[in-house]
Amino acid sequence: MIKERFFLYRKTFLALIVAGIFISIPWVTSDFFVLMAIRVMYFGMLTMSLTFLAGELGVVSLMQASFFGIAGYFVAILQTRYGLPFPFPPLVGIAVSLIIAGLLGMLVIRVRGIYFLMLTLVLGQLVWALASQWSSVTEGDTGIMNVYAPVLFGISMEKSKTAFYYFQLFFFAGATWFLIALRRSPFGLMLRGIRESESRMRMLGYPVSLLRYAAFVFAALVAAIGGVFFVYFMGLINPSSVSLATNVETLLAAILGGINTLAGAVLGTGILKTLDVVLSGITKRYLLFMGIMFLFVILFAPKGIIGTVRNYGRSFLSPLMRWFGLGED
Amino acid sequence: MVGKKMIWLGVAILFSTLWVWGTAHAVSEIRIGQIGPTTGWATMFGTEGLNGVKLALAERDYKFKGIPIKLFTEDTKADVEVMRTKLDSFKTRDKVHFIIGPSLGHEGMAAVDWGARNPDVPILIGYSAPEDITMRKATPSVIRPGWTGPQVIFHFGKFCAKDLGYKKVIIVGQDYSYPWDQAAGFTRGFLENGGEKVERIWHPVDAVDFSSIMAKLTGMKKEYDAVLCNSGGAQVVAFFKQWYQFGLDKIYPQILGQANVPIVPMLTELADMALNVYSSLHYYDGNPSEANMKFRESYLKAYGKYPSVIAVQGYDAMRVAFKAMEAIDGKVDDPKAFITAVRQVKMRENESPRGPFYFDKFGNPIQNIYIKKVVKKDGKLMNIAVKTYKDVSQFGPYAAMPEKYMAQPATSREYPPGNKDDYFREIEKYFGKDYMAELKKNNGWKE
Repeated sequence: MIKERFFLYRKTFLALIVAGIFISIPWVTSDFFVLMAIRVMYFGMLTMSLTFLAGELGVVSLMQASFFGIAGYFVAILQTRYGLPFPFPPLVGIAVSLIIAGLLGMLVIRVRGIYFLMLTLVLGQLVWALASQWSSVTEGDTGIMNVYAPVLFGISMEKSKTAFYYFQLFFFAGATWFLIALRRSPFGLMLRGIRESESRMRMLGYPVSLLRYAAFVFAALVAAIGGVFFVYFMGLINPSSVSLATNVETLLAAILGGINTLAGAVLGTGILKTLDVVLSGITKRYLLFMGIMFLFVILFAPKGIIGTVRNYGRSFLSPLMRWFGLGED
Repeated sequence: MVGKKMIWLGVAILFSTLWVWGTAHAVSEIRIGQIGPTTGWATMFGTEGLNGVKLALAERDYKFKGIPIKLFTEDTKADVEVMRTKLDSFKTRDKVHFIIGPSLGHEGMAAVDWGARNPDVPILIGYSAPEDITMRKATPSVIRPGWTGPQVIFHFGKFCAKDLGYKKVIIVGQDYSYPWDQAAGFTRGFLENGGEKVERIWHPVDAVDFSSIMAKLTGMKKEYDAVLCNSGGAQVVAFFKQWYQFGLDKIYPQILGQANVPIVPMLTELADMALNVYSSLHYYDGNPSEANMKFRESYLKAYGKYPSVIAVQGYDAMRVAFKAMEAIDGKVDDPKAFITAVRQVKMRENESPRGPFYFDKFGNPIQNIYIKKVVKKDGKLMNIAVKTYKDVSQFGPYAAMPEKYMAQPATSREYPPGNKDDYFREIEKYFGKDYMAELKKNNGWKE
């Protein structure tokens, strides 16, 4: 009886475990770990926006960091130059990011495959060039500084890393839930239909372009939320946050974790960003090691870590995964 | 009874030894963090700085008065997000007493912002040259034993106008903030000392094909006297090559260079093309001083090549830290005392390869600026000083009015204006009529 009821709520149970782990991080780990977790979360949102597009639409975008950066830049500009109080800079930042995604979306949804990659690359570089050259607004390569995280309920997010962690965790969980919900909704199903066969979906009467467009804007929204936390945590923003290097690193994190999955995005970002700091403390040739690691991932696990676990680990993991209802997703 | 007395004696001895031990070894290990770009396009700026720091530490066998020194090094990848994370790691993971670095402009700006939020970790800035690190954004815990971009080039503008007699100069450079700063400093020195016009041509940072610019320069010879190359690294090599290919060496007297153009690593790349290039800096490799000779030889022995100014600054930063540690008897665990001590350090003649220097109240050195010329000595290219300006502050000729200087807008690709009339209208707005009258009276700067 109890067992049956437990089985019924197994997904809630899983969610509670995951939530418990995330919530307990500042209590059981060091300051340094919290710091890394914060980094992984904001970059994780950026990577999730990429894997959402890759997984649902089957396209690889090289401009997600632009939406991340645009939101960040607007927070920085509105706060430091115009002194707007807290909820407004992030709201405006995200809104502007969405508007720009809306405008550019009209262009990019027209193309597919390699052309999508190229077009987003060009547009992403355009945003980078603006950030670097339009120095009266963006302060050029120096970037905008003196951005401070807000004070919420009397707690300064700037002073307490733990408070910042929870503040971000709330939105991170929200963004993740949003993307999962989208995937599971009829909207997500339609997107996957488009991914599999666009002509068939069009013939069936689905508004293909509109759906692709909406997916693009939704992805930008998640990236923009990540960008807000990025600028709050870093206290500054400069063109490197919208550069090609950031975009490529996001793509690498996605490939490492598994480009079609949201969990892979977070896992890949976590591994990449942690290795970056940990390995570089040990050896100066750390980039070589990371390169070799990528080589192995591409050669032997092209679906990334999550994909590989699903494929090879099925035999011994599947009873557990099926029990949690994650078997064949 | 005797037993009780013995116990008291024992306790007393224990406490006194503990006390003595406690004061003699305020810290059991001095931990230093060094950060800079050691991978990526800016590797040279990171590794040379690190080598300089290591050389200064090796001179003392990684010890200070018997206390071992541990050096932690981190790579920024020339990315500020990475750098901030690593500064945080220095603080929370390695618990360093102070940090030396970083090297690049945008890194330095991010480091000073981090320093303002973490005032308990002193930072000695490496090669980063933006003015605002020690001007508008200056913060007590951040000290720069280095330079600012305009500081080293103000007087080069004057030299070009007065000593070389040029009236109109073209500046060709990479389009980002460091070359903007160089152009700004040069423009001030040039126009205020009799120059008439500075024309700026900007090209993308990684451009290597300058044929259109070379063609333009050929046409501009009718009006202009000289060309200043305001780029760095590979772009300089490409620029010099094409300069000779297009025969511009026959129509212009020689190339002028921004501060980084003829530094040591560039000389090997440019070879004889670099001959006769004029530039200015706070260090010159041909300095015959004892300190410089010794430094060059020991660096050559340790790393197999001659050091550049970047290494000098790493070396100097560590030596400044040593001097400060001496003043506070090695108690680096008191950041306030350490910061105060660093700010009071005075490097005398022959203590640094660059010459004497001390810090202004913003934490930037007041030092000699050398106008350099590349010559060939014993078959080797090197910079010699043709003129020395002593005790130049980061405000250059405006040392008496730092507030007015800082009230001006930040430099950009067009600011300050390169046209004489516009320029004077602009500085009158900030420095006042008295300053203008003085300029006119002295026919330029006084010294």
